[in-house]
Amino acid sequence: MTILTVALKYLRGRFVASALTSLSVALGVSLVIASVLLSRGIQQGFIEGTTDYSLLVGAKGSPTQLVLNIVFRMDVPTPNISYSTYRQLQDDPRVEVAVPVAMGDAYQGSRYVATTGGYFAAYSWRRKTFAISEGRFFRDDPPEQPAYEAVLGADAARRTGLRVGDRFHEGEEMAEYPLTVVGILRPTNSADDRAIFFSLASYWQMNEISREMKVKPLTAVLVRAKRMSDLPGLHRGFNVTADTQAVFPSAVLLNIFNVLSLVDEVVAIILAIVGLVVVLYLFVSMYSATLERQREIATMRALGARRATILGIVLLESCAMAVIGGALGIAGGHGVAYLGAAVLAGRGGPVANLFVVSALEPVVFASAVVLGALAGLLPAVLAYRTEVAENLAPLS
Amino acid sequence: MIAGGASSTAPRPQRRLMTEVSAAVTLHGVKKAFPLENGRTLDALNIEHWAVSAGRCTVLTGPSGSGKTTLLNLIAGVSLPTAGTITVHDTDISALPEPRRDRFRARHIGYVFQTFNLLSAFTALENVMLSMMFADAIPKHAQRRRAGEILTRLGLGARLSHKPQQLSRGEQQRIAIARALANRPPLILADEPCASLDASTAREVLDELLSVCREAGTTLLVVSHETAVLAAGDQVIDITAINRPEYRVRSVERV
Repeated sequence: MTILTVALKYLRGRFVASALTSLSVALGVSLVIASVLLSRGIQQGFIEGTTDYSLLVGAKGSPTQLVLNIVFRMDVPTPNISYSTYRQLQDDPRVEVAVPVAMGDAYQGSRYVATTGGYFAAYSWRRKTFAISEGRFFRDDPPEQPAYEAVLGADAARRTGLRVGDRFHEGEEMAEYPLTVVGILRPTNSADDRAIFFSLASYWQMNEISREMKVKPLTAVLVRAKRMSDLPGLHRGFNVTADTQAVFPSAVLLNIFNVLSLVDEVVAIILAIVGLVVVLYLFVSMYSATLERQREIATMRALGARRATILGIVLLESCAMAVIGGALGIAGGHGVAYLGAAVLAGRGGPVANLFVVSALEPVVFASAVVLGALAGLLPAVLAYRTEVAENLAPLS
Repeated sequence: MIAGGASSTAPRPQRRLMTEVSAAVTLHGVKKAFPLENGRTLDALNIEHWAVSAGRCTVLTGPSGSGKTTLLNLIAGVSLPTAGTITVHDTDISALPEPRRDRFRARHIGYVFQTFNLLSAFTALENVMLSMMFADAIPKHAQRRRAGEILTRLGLGARLSHKPQQLSRGEQQRIAIARALANRPPLILADEPCASLDASTAREVLDELLSVCREAGTTLLVVSHETAVLAAGDQVIDITAINRPEYRVRSVERV
């Protein structure tokens, strides 16, 4: 028998109280783990999901809305811009690549994205790569002969259940002009996984059929400048016009991170309060247990237990509850974060893989144990100072 | 004749006077005063000299509040005298620093309480093993076996894994006795060991206690008012006879 087994026996001896205290520690730890994992996952999701293009040109309005909609497929689309804006950019000698994008409706929650084959092209400067897991890319068809070919992102294919060769349409008026799935993309860990891509020609034709639109609208143009030094000029040029705005996606991302960091600070304050409440609960639990047990402590001292042994038993008991709560909390926190990420992803939120190796878990676990020891310190000192002769007197 | 005016039971034929018996416990000029709230002190004990014979059963009796339990606590080293020396088997226990006093108590003194004082979260076996853990005198691998043997010797072989609250009061006191004997201490202090038991159970427990102590040659110092205990002791001391400055040894040794 060791002092650890004595401490564990005492824990089992008051099972309900010990279990509730460990549970409160577990709840506190799981809140910390889940919020840190989710916050980190969302931030990483924004970083991984961002575009390789340095400039976005779209309709006048909110830069954040433009980036959220075009890059992350969140928020509502900005108003349309003219196709001539794309032609203008394409002809600009400062532009290396310009890719037109038009955002359409959605099919079973997967957003229609009309673009050209250039959207998937591999360039030496691109981090992101598109690869086909099944089928092929859609044809860049001429406007007068739309092919109605669609390429599905990996998630879009999984969510809609569509396979290569399947036909589908959104709205009764399109029943005669269904899109045909010609390819499915490999996962890219970005919003593109949840999109349904097809050609601009098909998009414009669909608009003409369903909305009787005769114009050829675009939502935005993704731009890569030949030189970094050309970017300010391009940015200024498209911002001084009445209809368009040019946005640096990285600058908008920085703004989003600033907002997220504010949220993180509020969450950190809430978590600190939760931590304090948990430590207080642990302290009260150990303090009342020690008060109830003073006679037994006096008995142990009379049997020859040293003060340090008694101190160790109470501290170990408190630490053991923190260890159990900490371990449960880390497991529970991962579970909550996983569920939270699934809900966010289901709503199109950018969430990266949460389960990466980091110092978070060991640090939170060690902190829980240290706080557990601190919470048990005062009760342990109370036990340490228990007056033996006084507490050995027979109960009346 | 019984020391200090303590009442005696009927004389037994085997009783004889002893002249030379070595001392297990010796007290010299021991005083114990407790501070009172009004700034004064209460003199609870004032013992000029007293010795407890080794290997015998000494019964300490006396009226309530006369300092019997205080004296037991001083001998056990759980509290310290205001003045004087207390020697237990040639060790001045009151002069030892606290950690060494604790270790000495764990290894050399067994304690049996009136209300058993068993630890409710632990089984009978564990209650006995706990005492061994504190003493650290018996190898860890042998502790379980030793605890089982003592409990079996006291008739609790079938109750090893029972918790105190699942046992009768007599069984609980037997566990307390087993716990006191666990480290084979040369001295056992028992504070009213039968006071919480009915007469027949008290008799059984007392017989067990005396029997195991005599078997092992253990010195037994019992605080009691019980007639049965007084009758069973080798020596009966009324604390009022020793707890005063003009203390004189007036005792009858019995075998």
